[in-house]
Amino acid sequence: MTDLTTNVAAALAMAAGEEINVLWRRDRKGVLTGWCRLPCGEALLPAARAVAELEGRLAMVTPYLPERAKEKGEREIAYHFDLDGATLTLTVVLPLEWARVPSLTPIFRNCDWQERELMELYDVQVVGHPDPRRLFLDHTLPHAPFERLVPYSTFTNAATGKALWDKVLAGEREDA
Amino acid sequence: MTTKIIELGAHQLALEEPMYFRVKLEGDRVADLDVLPGQVHRGMEHLVMRRNLYQNITLLERLCSLCSNSHPSTFCAAVEEVAGIAIPERAEYLRAVADEIKRIASHLFCCAVQANAIGETPLFRRIMEVREIMQRAKEAIYGNRMDLAANVIGGVRYDLTPEAAAYLAGAMEEMKRPLDELYLQFGNNPALMARMAWVGVLPREAAVECAVVGPVARACGIDYDVRKKSPYGAYDRLKFEVPSQTAGDVRARNLVRLAEARQSVSLIEQCLAQLPAGPLCADNLPEIPAGEAIAKSEAPRGELMYYLRTDGSDFPVRLKWRVPSYMNWDALKVMLKGEPVGNIPLIVNSIDPCIACTDR
Repeated sequence: MTDLTTNVAAALAMAAGEEINVLWRRDRKGVLTGWCRLPCGEALLPAARAVAELEGRLAMVTPYLPERAKEKGEREIAYHFDLDGATLTLTVVLPLEWARVPSLTPIFRNCDWQERELMELYDVQVVGHPDPRRLFLDHTLPHAPFERLVPYSTFTNAATGKALWDKVLAGEREDA
Repeated sequence: MTTKIIELGAHQLALEEPMYFRVKLEGDRVADLDVLPGQVHRGMEHLVMRRNLYQNITLLERLCSLCSNSHPSTFCAAVEEVAGIAIPERAEYLRAVADEIKRIASHLFCCAVQANAIGETPLFRRIMEVREIMQRAKEAIYGNRMDLAANVIGGVRYDLTPEAAAYLAGAMEEMKRPLDELYLQFGNNPALMARMAWVGVLPREAAVECAVVGPVARACGIDYDVRKKSPYGAYDRLKFEVPSQTAGDVRARNLVRLAEARQSVSLIEQCLAQLPAGPLCADNLPEIPAGEAIAKSEAPRGELMYYLRTDGSDFPVRLKWRVPSYMNWDALKVMLKGEPVGNIPLIVNSIDPCIACTDR
């Protein structure tokens, strides 16, 4: 056990009110990665606050449908935090239908875009996001395209030139 | 004071890729900013789940041009971590060589674009001429000026012959003086100082709050470099400094980049001097088991992170990556606040934004 693993275990246990199991792995260069599963969306916010108190930095959010997701009726979101070079991943297990997680933006400002992207690609509601607009995808695309079949030519939105510029300007009028 | 909203696109900001900005002005000063990404969204995180792990090496190298080597090398590191593959020592050094060559070329491109943005055309040309030494080195060694195709799961797919190593050593020697001169010029030239010093300032506290990475963070005094904090490949055996500044302005960001490019020259020289003999790739690669792994690297723009989840098949269950530019856009709101409209192109380019990487 290192100071880091001890501190993380203590902070997460205090946040949850019970012992939380974190599996630590050390690679060939001695770099630590910690893996921790949270049973529900409600457990996320206190755990994230605990990581913030340890001066953790939110590095990435990975939503995904795990193996046999439909069979199990579950989906997962992995929140990866940097702790001065070590990486701690808190994985939240959520129901496949009507999944909700609290927004981490009050704790980590840089979660903003990550959650906007999560909301548009997957069928997950982020509760309390300050700006829940689509980030990358055009409004003509269906909701949660990573969970349904969308023709690739529809998916890709790469276009430049006058048509795109007109669209940006039209967006301004819509917002006004 | 008049409040006005204007839209700025790639053509107004001297960006080579499409990114749009909705800027709220008070008088001629920026009051607020909305960044509108998605114009080169190619659904790549969806595509990678429809291709096998080998095909993804090729696909990921085409994600972006300037940091194209960082993507396949970090992805391969994630696969190797899942499968417990130890890559040969020679391959570790050769991966570092490829990464550092790309870093020098990328940093110089960023500095050149900024010189162009402020109308310093002779300086722009000079930097691009210096960068051409790196472009030629890439072409000579890898056969390509942008995508190096250097990585494979378990190692690398190129070698440095004694002749190629001598050529590269010569190119590094050629880079030293121009890089030192450029550092002095960006640090002290009054014309550049007038446009870049105290412009686009990001205070350290705001940098921490926005969680910026790479040269943008190091220019604010946050000396975080993945090569030091989470060593990978050959970096635990190489000596290098992590240059940092404290001013947090455009000038500081460029000084960090130029000092880093100089460190990269030293890193390549060390790799050439220490390059161990041996194979380029691990023998007898195992089947990739079910598992999950994180791999990180210091790409030219900062921390690059990959998450890979596998189920024992050749296709990833999920492959997610977060590029450094993704973290840095938000800081533009702080950097641009109160700046005159005329400074927007320079400040936007000073974060060295990678739009193809951001959109994916």
